Amino acid sequence: MEGKSEIVEVKTFPFPAGFNWAVGPMMERFIRTLAGRKVLGARCPGCGYTYVPPRSRCGQCQAAIAEKDVVELSGKGTLISYTNAHVAPDGNGNLKDLEKPIVVGAVKLEDADSVLFMPVEGVKPQDLKIGLAVKVRWREETKGAVADICCFEPVG
Amino acid sequence: MGYLKDERPTTIGVEGGWNLGAYHYKGSRLLEEYVAGLKHKKLTGSFCPGCARVIVPPRNLCGRCHRKMDGRKTVSDRGTITCFVVSPPIYKGKLKVLGMDPVEIGLVKDGQVVIPVFVKFDGSDSNTDTVLLNADPKDVHIGMRVKVVWAKELQGSLADVEGVEPI
Amino acid sequence: MKRRNVAVIGCGQTKHSSRRRDVNVAEMVSEAVYNALEDAQVSAREVDAFVVGNMPGFGGVAQPEQWIAESLGAAGKPVLRIATGGTTGGSVGQGGYYVVASGLHDMVVAVAWEKHSDSKEAGATTGLLHVGLGNFFHAAGYGLSLKNLVATSVVGAAAGVAVYQAMFYMHRSGCGIEHFDMVAAKARRNAAKNKYAHLQWPGCTAEDIAKTDIVTYPFRYGHICPASDGASAIVVAEESLARKKAKQPAWFKGLASYTDEENQLQSENFGGVGVTDPSEQRGCWLSAVKAYRMAGIVDPKTEIDVAEIYQPFPSQELFFAERLGLFDEGTAWMALETGETEIEGRMPLDPSGGVNATNAIGSSAMQRILECALQIMGKAEEHQVPKKVRNALAHGWGGVTNYSTVTVLGDTPGR
Repeated sequence: MEGKSEIVEVKTFPFPAGFNWAVGPMMERFIRTLAGRKVLGARCPGCGYTYVPPRSRCGQCQAAIAEKDVVELSGKGTLISYTNAHVAPDGNGNLKDLEKPIVVGAVKLEDADSVLFMPVEGVKPQDLKIGLAVKVRWREETKGAVADICCFEPVG
Repeated sequence: MGYLKDERPTTIGVEGGWNLGAYHYKGSRLLEEYVAGLKHKKLTGSFCPGCARVIVPPRNLCGRCHRKMDGRKTVSDRGTITCFVVSPPIYKGKLKVLGMDPVEIGLVKDGQVVIPVFVKFDGSDSNTDTVLLNADPKDVHIGMRVKVVWAKELQGSLADVEGVEPI
Repeated sequence: MKRRNVAVIGCGQTKHSSRRRDVNVAEMVSEAVYNALEDAQVSAREVDAFVVGNMPGFGGVAQPEQWIAESLGAAGKPVLRIATGGTTGGSVGQGGYYVVASGLHDMVVAVAWEKHSDSKEAGATTGLLHVGLGNFFHAAGYGLSLKNLVATSVVGAAAGVAVYQAMFYMHRSGCGIEHFDMVAAKARRNAAKNKYAHLQWPGCTAEDIAKTDIVTYPFRYGHICPASDGASAIVVAEESLARKKAKQPAWFKGLASYTDEENQLQSENFGGVGVTDPSEQRGCWLSAVKAYRMAGIVDPKTEIDVAEIYQPFPSQELFFAERLGLFDEGTAWMALETGETEIEGRMPLDPSGGVNATNAIGSSAMQRILECALQIMGKAEEHQVPKKVRNALAHGWGGVTNYSTVTVLGDTPGR
């Protein structure tokens, strides 16, 4: 073995393991309600913290959150942080250049305490600022899927 | 009366994939040595200087006394069955090999019985996992003497050992 | 070495079934945690830290502890994830002991789970691919042919090395396939008395199991464990809290986990396997000896009152019972014949139905500890063994089929 590495690279071939994660009742209700262009949250009965999407246990005070605690939100919110993404994962462990940068924003919805991370469109990079008022832009046809929310865009 | 049923509602699923072939695995060169031997009908094992065991195919380290197994030893292609299991007759649609039907692609005959075995080759101290060929399932027993069935054309690959058959 | 006395003061599980698609993984695990907290009569606020675990890869979530922590009430608290293969739950339970016995924390929740149905493949396929694929690719590079793989698939259909173990055990003990029928029937019968179990078949008989087809001799379909969704949790506390909170705490008296050489079909880099009998399970024997010594148990045959053995396959209940010193070598199947291992028998084995009836892999070895705690606390309801339980034995098995966890729980902390 002199002068020869004892380690070899193992040749692999694509071997996809498929998953199908069940989302649970609260998230299901959130997703289905998107069809009617409505955004649901859940207000913790213990401490009032409001989650979007809704969930069944409060991370702040550990109270159980039930179906009755689900609230409808306006779909309007405020940009509290953002970034310009110039590259994206290519699915093979590397990064690829994007044709044009994507703005990813952290949006705090009106009457909610948790934050949604979504693309922000319809705004020039130089006009982006923390505190920008944004709202949901819906896909033309909504069918009760996560993709019904196209992105966020400036109000007005 | 049978099994009790537990029916539950199903919520929406979010689909995703995990490509297990995307990992950069590393291996040792030991199999390279082993298959090079197979081309000359030689079964190579590694020898432990601590406990004198011979392991086939070779390993880097002894699992018991943790010494480097740098020594090599060629063991006999004859050996003894230490364990066996028996499949039911394999009919079309019964079994999958890498997602393919082994009957459809001609790996086994329709209705064939497959007998996976552990073999301890003479001069070795390990089990080698292979398959028993040319034998009646009724005759197979622990302690049965067998020899390697070599492929017609040896290529220096793991496939050179097709299995073992009774002596 | 100074160790604090530690006990289980509360137990919680989910109902186990093949498809818990009514909830997501966070909700499922949280169900077990809050059931355990309710059983212990403590609030999530009182818990100092969490020890958690499932099998890596099986649910397709790389860092599930980060996703589910908030749902468990673990936000802002130390969370330790442990994954040791099939023994994960056993290691998680023992991890709960370590952090409390060491004095690091006073009260922790240890929780383990698996959610097989989040995988698109049948049963545990995806998870097992995660375990074996590197080795397979390596061998494929050296010409492992499809023809070679037929035998592997036949063995794989009957759960890999387990079917060989069964054959080894039959050969050296004289037990027969009918004894596997009896163990599997007992597991399903007992499971019907355990409201959280998966494969529940009230009054199942060995004849019922014997009617099922052979997968790969000597295993029948009726011998094989299910792939379950579910979670199990225990609340673990130091002595003064334990005495305050629980009428009868289940004390950790002795524990150990030992490994041995790999004894799967092929070892790392597709090398040979030096353990020529995979049912030898030296790691189990070493763990048992160490755990008994720590617990002050001299004669496990008389001092252990009930055992929860990790037995996805019925043969394993038999040879592990021997490795654990509960029966003489090669005699466990005779005790099975005379009913000694039934719930009301002299040495009840897996009164809960065990892993053969419920296998949420990451959680399975935790359930053994949990079930032993229930037996000591007298909370096992319909499957409570009728005799007084002073010492109960919980076993876990996994790794590359060479790793065991053994935990002795008792009604007193004394050694």
